[in-house]
Amino acid sequence: MEEQDKTLLSFQIEDEVFAVDAMKVDHILEVPSQITEVPNTPDYITGIINLHGNIITVADMRILTGQKNKEKGADTSIVVINPTGEQDSKIGLIVDMVKEVIETESSQFKETVLEGKKGLINSFEGTVVINKEFIHVIDLNSFNEIIEK
Amino acid sequence: MIDKFKAKFVEESKDNVQDLEEALLLLENDMKNRDLIERIFRAMHSLKGGGAMFGFNHLSDLTHHLEAVFDSVRNNQIEVTSDLITLTFSAIDQINFLLKKGDLTDTDELKEHNDFIEKINSFSKGSTLEEKVKNETDQIYEEKGKDSTEESSTYLITIIPEKDLLQNGTNPLYLLDDLHALGDAKTIAFTHKIPSTEILDPTASYCIWQVILSTTESLNEIKDVFIFVEDECDLNIEKVADINIVNKKEISDMVAESLSTNTLISKENFTTQVWKKEDKQEKQAKKKIAIKDNKISSIRVASHKIDELVTLVSELVTIQAQLSLYAEQKEDPAILTLTEGVQKLSRQLRENAFDISLIPLQTELMRFQRLVRDLSKEQEKEIEFVIEGGDLELDKNIIEHLTDPLLHIFRNSIDHGIESPKERISSGKPPKGTIIFKAYYSGANVVIEISDDGKGLDPEFIRKKAIEKEIIDQNSQLENKEVLNLLFVSGFSTKDEVSDVSGRGVGMDVVRRKIADIRGEVTIDSEKGNGTVTTIRLPMTLSIIDGLLVKVDKNQYVIPITAIEKIYALEKSQIKESFNSVVILDDEQIPFIDLRKTFNVKDVEQNDTVQMILIKSEERKSGLIVDSIIGEYQTVVKPLGKHIRKQEIISGASIMGDGSISLVIDTSRLLYRRKRKKAVS
Repeated sequence: MEEQDKTLLSFQIEDEVFAVDAMKVDHILEVPSQITEVPNTPDYITGIINLHGNIITVADMRILTGQKNKEKGADTSIVVINPTGEQDSKIGLIVDMVKEVIETESSQFKETVLEGKKGLINSFEGTVVINKEFIHVIDLNSFNEIIEK
Repeated sequence: MIDKFKAKFVEESKDNVQDLEEALLLLENDMKNRDLIERIFRAMHSLKGGGAMFGFNHLSDLTHHLEAVFDSVRNNQIEVTSDLITLTFSAIDQINFLLKKGDLTDTDELKEHNDFIEKINSFSKGSTLEEKVKNETDQIYEEKGKDSTEESSTYLITIIPEKDLLQNGTNPLYLLDDLHALGDAKTIAFTHKIPSTEILDPTASYCIWQVILSTTESLNEIKDVFIFVEDECDLNIEKVADINIVNKKEISDMVAESLSTNTLISKENFTTQVWKKEDKQEKQAKKKIAIKDNKISSIRVASHKIDELVTLVSELVTIQAQLSLYAEQKEDPAILTLTEGVQKLSRQLRENAFDISLIPLQTELMRFQRLVRDLSKEQEKEIEFVIEGGDLELDKNIIEHLTDPLLHIFRNSIDHGIESPKERISSGKPPKGTIIFKAYYSGANVVIEISDDGKGLDPEFIRKKAIEKEIIDQNSQLENKEVLNLLFVSGFSTKDEVSDVSGRGVGMDVVRRKIADIRGEVTIDSEKGNGTVTTIRLPMTLSIIDGLLVKVDKNQYVIPITAIEKIYALEKSQIKESFNSVVILDDEQIPFIDLRKTFNVKDVEQNDTVQMILIKSEERKSGLIVDSIIGEYQTVVKPLGKHIRKQEIISGASIMGDGSISLVIDTSRLLYRRKRKKAVS
């Protein structure tokens, strides 16, 4: 658990709300018409896209959080995060809907309790409760380790 | 070889001198700064050491004395004064001079040099005779202007042709050209003898020429120009000055004067005395210019600037592809022409930019040559180091990453590979061992092989060691190849005691990791008793490649043109009926890889005709079955994110003109994979 105050970006997948450190977010994009599939990659890797002339890998958060695959809707977006600050570890996450930017204090962080295992993502910095909504903050370092493996 | 070292030393020394100068300038404003004094001391020290090593004895001598002075400064025996700084500055000039000329041979220059050293010594003794020093520094500066190698003299040449000169086919203009070729020349044509047109004989020659020529050639050389016309003209050649005065203002004045009065210039017009004084200044200027020229012939640029340039050029190529696409759609001839121009330029620019970032392997190998020599002496082994393909050029980023792994591999070969002469003779080998470094292009890859004819690796020994270190299980059955692969496992070092050379706990695993960082791979092959071959395979990450764009299912792929041998059109039935993925074409059996299968395309419906691209990687040949071929493209290869590097076949992606993405196939990995698969099944 981090002791510092944090600005978070929250997003929704099915009926759960997750969040990542807003400082690690590079872009928020609409899902482009074409995502180029890369053969022989894990199923959570949707493919690659062209973002301002750079190649960005796109992963589906629905699969990563153990949900069933779903057609994209009007609110489906890609959140491009950069966990380590290096160009080649940038990754776009497909989420059902981007919600909001939240200012939090460390005291608000509580231990994350999730019933059952949530797909590949199993490490959280904590959970924040705002307006009775549980927001699970994803630990990007361990997230990065999981998907780079 | 020694010349190369010398050139490198001079280049490095220039950096040192620059550093020295910079530090000195700072010191001038901050005379008590210990760090700066230390920095100056260091720079001089390396100049001294290098100078002695590479035969710049006078340079070494000079810096030695200077270093002594700064040593006293360092130990607070003397203080930094502006005199000392001035002296050091002139010493820098002298260093530059010595770097350019090497050791002095001219007695005057030698004397000057020794006087200068005297003066430095007087400083270290603590004497600060300001005036004396100042005068002498000035004097030295002036005297250095002497240029012993190029002594040119100025001649006045007067040519008064006979009237019938032209009738023999002589063209006096050629003579003048010849004179100009000898050095600096100024020609004056006197035309006052030409009569009015009524009485002019068009076949006769009326002109008179005077040439003021400054040349290093002898008088005879000048006379030779006139060898065929000596009898047909009145020729007069006189030496008028011992130096080059052609470009002096006085000369042009003199020429203008004589032309306006139509009187020929005579030797008396040149009062020799006038030139003497300016002589030195001019030569000094000339020398300064010469030194400048020398610097411009190559520039050292911060490498990140080159990286930036390459990135920008890559962007340009992408944009240019978009422009081409747009122009094709518009069918506007004006835009098409412009686009073609842009395309041509960006191609040239791209080649240029990449050329800049390439360095020949040779530069890197020089240190290894030294290493092999030193280590073999130390271990009393006899080793011959052979380099093949050292002129191969690689991206500087790749070369940088290669140094450590290569060092390690070489050390392994010397330390563990090559045996002592005694051992070698007893096992029937020549006493002298050989290490061969071989580099060559293979398809879209660069392959580097380091082989030695040493004792090789003993699989049994490695196996035992691995069991001992609990890397493998006692009962595991491994093939030789797999055993050799254990060397790459972290924490594996076969030598029992840690030696000075290799085996500091880090081993081949580090080599593998470092090579993997530049997307290369290492393999080891060895036969007990017969030596070891380490092979490094590198991508040519020249990030722009010429590629063939093909289509498989709905994706587009780029295959590097360099890897392609031939393209065949095949009937679908030919593939279906083939046995063991081999087709027979031109009486040759060609194994093929169906990319649809490789890429796990679910929908297996294919056209009736497919294309087979025959690719070659080293000795391996194989056909790649694709749906269709789109065309040849020049593409910028962008790296893939870390997340999808694990799959091996796609080495990068490339953005097309319309913004869509194509995947770049790494052909040699594809073929390598096939071979491995076969070995397993």
